[in-house]
Amino acid sequence: MEFLNPFLLAGAGLAAVPVVLHLIMRQQPRLLEFPALRFLQMRQLSNRRRMKLRHLLLLALRVAAVCLLALALARPSIHGSGLLGDQQAPTAAAMVFDTSARMAYRHENRTRLEAAQDIALWLLPQLPPESQVAVVDATPGDASFQIDLGTARQRIERLATVGLGRPLPELFEGAIRLLKDSQQKRKEVFLFTDLTDRAWPSTASDRLQRLLAEVPGVAVYVIDVGVLEPRNLSLAEIQLSGQVLARNSPLRVATELVSLRMEEQRTVELYLSDSQGQMQKRSEESVAVTAGGSKAIDFPVAGLDEGTHQGYVRIVGTDALPIDDARYFTVEVKPPWRVLVAALPPADYHAANLTEALAPADFRRSGHARFECDVVPFDDLGRRPLAEYAAVCLLDPRALGDNVWKQLSDFARGGGGVGIFLGPSADLASFGAAAAQELLPGPLAPQARYPDGTAYISTRDDQHPILAKFRSRRGAVPWEDFPVYRLWQFDPLADGVGTVVPLTNGRPVILERPIGKGRVLTMATPVSELAEVPDNDRWNQLWGVGSWPFFTLANEMMMYLVGSTDGQLNYATEQAAVLYVDAEKHFPTYLVSTPSGESLRQAPNQQNAIVVTATSNVGNYRVRAGGEQEGVNLGFSVNLPIEASRLDRIGEDRLKAFFGEHAFRVARDKQQIDREVSLDRVGRELYPLLIGLVAFVLGLEHVLANRFYREPPAAGKE
Amino acid sequence: MSIAEKYLKPEVVREISRLDLRAQFIVKGFLHGLHASPFHGFSVEFSEHRKYTPGDNPQDIDWLVYAKTDKYYIKKFEAETNITGYLVMDLSRSMGYTYRQELTKFDYAICLAAALCYLMVHQQDPVGLITFDEKIRSSLPPRSKRAQLGNILSLLSKLRPTGKTEIAKSIVQIAAMLRHHSLVMLFSDLLSDPDPIIQALHRLRHGGHDVILFHILDEAEVHFPFDGIVEFEEPESHDRLQVDAGGFKADYVSEVNRFRDRYRRECFQSGIDYVPLDTSMRFDRALTEYLISRQGRF
Repeated sequence: MEFLNPFLLAGAGLAAVPVVLHLIMRQQPRLLEFPALRFLQMRQLSNRRRMKLRHLLLLALRVAAVCLLALALARPSIHGSGLLGDQQAPTAAAMVFDTSARMAYRHENRTRLEAAQDIALWLLPQLPPESQVAVVDATPGDASFQIDLGTARQRIERLATVGLGRPLPELFEGAIRLLKDSQQKRKEVFLFTDLTDRAWPSTASDRLQRLLAEVPGVAVYVIDVGVLEPRNLSLAEIQLSGQVLARNSPLRVATELVSLRMEEQRTVELYLSDSQGQMQKRSEESVAVTAGGSKAIDFPVAGLDEGTHQGYVRIVGTDALPIDDARYFTVEVKPPWRVLVAALPPADYHAANLTEALAPADFRRSGHARFECDVVPFDDLGRRPLAEYAAVCLLDPRALGDNVWKQLSDFARGGGGVGIFLGPSADLASFGAAAAQELLPGPLAPQARYPDGTAYISTRDDQHPILAKFRSRRGAVPWEDFPVYRLWQFDPLADGVGTVVPLTNGRPVILERPIGKGRVLTMATPVSELAEVPDNDRWNQLWGVGSWPFFTLANEMMMYLVGSTDGQLNYATEQAAVLYVDAEKHFPTYLVSTPSGESLRQAPNQQNAIVVTATSNVGNYRVRAGGEQEGVNLGFSVNLPIEASRLDRIGEDRLKAFFGEHAFRVARDKQQIDREVSLDRVGRELYPLLIGLVAFVLGLEHVLANRFYREPPAAGKE
Repeated sequence: MSIAEKYLKPEVVREISRLDLRAQFIVKGFLHGLHASPFHGFSVEFSEHRKYTPGDNPQDIDWLVYAKTDKYYIKKFEAETNITGYLVMDLSRSMGYTYRQELTKFDYAICLAAALCYLMVHQQDPVGLITFDEKIRSSLPPRSKRAQLGNILSLLSKLRPTGKTEIAKSIVQIAAMLRHHSLVMLFSDLLSDPDPIIQALHRLRHGGHDVILFHILDEAEVHFPFDGIVEFEEPESHDRLQVDAGGFKADYVSEVNRFRDRYRRECFQSGIDYVPLDTSMRFDRALTEYLISRQGRF
């Protein structure tokens, strides 16, 4: 408890006054003759006790009234944090700003960050003199105290939103750690936030609470600059049919228009860069969306030339949060991948299943095929220059020479993809040789047989890239129509081998083994069985009528083997973008152009990769070297993660759970801040309570005194 | 309120200075207010016949005389004369007290005594007067002549409550003094130790006397109207006591009631008529009490 005017406590000494008055100014009794005194004398003892009690009661009430009055005038207050008594004692204050993109939400013609800045600049001069102030925002770097209030002011004025930035709990932690080391006894954290749910992940709560427990006495003020009922239109993350496409393959750009409390009809446009790098509108769609709903938008794009293409999708018109109204994308169009398929003779005949799946005849004729398949018998495999191919597939391989296995291993190490589709021709001895074991998942074990047709492929665990296409149809892929009767088993599995696709009973049917820069996918059951094979001799029914699942799976396996899924061209903010450059077209430095118009030079690393870490701005980035004609012109896009534009507010209960037992105060405006901060610095004023008590005690005293010392009626004779 | 009733109020009677008139006023006012003669059946001995006049009670018609004379005569009873009444007055200093009433206890007692004396003399009952404080101070032997009324009233009017009192001792003296069976009407505030008084009253009663105890207290002594811090002084002993009167009232009233209840109980057990009075009460109340109790006795 603290006192604003402690010297007024001396007034409690006046409590002696009623005592003195009681002693020296006792009421002079009236003298009356009364013959029936004997009746009074009989009850005198008990009555005297009562009188004494009443006197003492009145005296106590009067003394209490004086003491309470003195106490009230001394203006006592009690503290939430129990900190120092002097309101002007210097404090160590950390002002933590959520500068994520959400804070650009505009309300009453101010962004949330501007509102936070406004309050912070008002708050700054309110801090007691000689206070230490740290300004912490989402930009990288450790929290530190500013030299003086002037630099703190400048720092606050220069705050700007960043794409995603460091999460708020991390900033808060940094601030607490800073305050922990401060010598000031009073410590305050001002957390400027829009209180959106995503900014307060409950996973960070425990660590933060432990940290707060280590620094007792830190006063935490959550300054809520958020909007209670935000309204926003946003575009969901863009889904591309592929980031690396074969020439003439169609591109699909899909997204969703998501509404938060807005019922609108808006036009959504697709822009693509032309050959000069200028953005041209390629498509538009008018979309109506209900409040809280979303609407899918799909833009098909055809006729992309070879090279890197960039574009964006945007909502026409404005809303409170513009940063999520546009989504950027980059795709790379390449010539068709060359795939070498080796099969038993007649090779074309045996390979027809796979080659038709990868490059259907119609597509080949029209030039839309993604793959260009060369089919050779196994005998010719060793003579082929494997480096010309992106992937090699072995369909039901028989015993191969060690040199062939060696060539394939080298090819894989160099970054190529090898697909091995085992079948009845597998040779245990040859496949057990060391050269073959470099590629295979392990020594062959006896086949597993499920002639009753109860075993089939399961894509329930669809995390692997080759199963990405099945994710949208999770649980609805009719694999049970295409049973697997027999498959090879491997025992033991080599190091690094993982199951990509199992059967429903858990037996691996497609296994992956990474080698060097490349990878080997082994399928334990053949894909080259001819239609004339009798049913009781078949290994599987994967190529049954209407077998779109395996058609898709084969294509995705091949896309994986040729490495099309490696080339990531679309990133989230703050993610490091990695672009692989052609080793043959190697330049010492590359110029990276950011969406904000800045250019920075970047040299490739030893793996021929350009790593760009300055990806805080959303938009399309370009990476160029060597001029227009002979040079390299690459690119990538950076988008805000979808969480960054989720504006749902955190509930009070969750916020309390986040801070646990540590006390915190939430304030929305300057008045509230003033009150809440005063409560901690000055404490809760007890004046009104005490004055109320004084009034009560005086009232009680008055009532009792009137009752005890009621004046006799005026009429009557003495 | 009729004029006669008005005369039963102490504050009105106070205005009348002559005691004989006071007594007359009280008795006449009292009798006027009664529907039937209070003396009906009071005496048991036949005295004479007189002619029936309208208004007389037809029950009193003597049908034997009617049979003989063919005229209506009613029986007239003669009052019994062998009841000798003694008015016994307490002269203690405390009897001269009143807080805010028109009459002191003593004035009230005298008025009441005078009225009773008047009544009795008119009934031709011999009536005497005894006064006492610490002992018997004066006594008038009982006579039934009309002159006796004047004697008693003149003595009563001279009495002053001045001294200390010893009620019990005085009652014992009176009991020893009275030879014939008498009606003893004692007027006192009884502000003394009750045990010896009760014993003395028992003795008086055992002597064969009828006793009516008029216990007269001041209105303030009954209702205790005081408030605030008051120092009370007992007029006889000069004892003082300082009390918070407001806080004492309940205790006091219960104590007074206890005191009166004790006398009432003791008197009832020994066949004494106990008439608790205070100076704010109308005289007829006192007289009625007396007469009703007398009626029940005969």
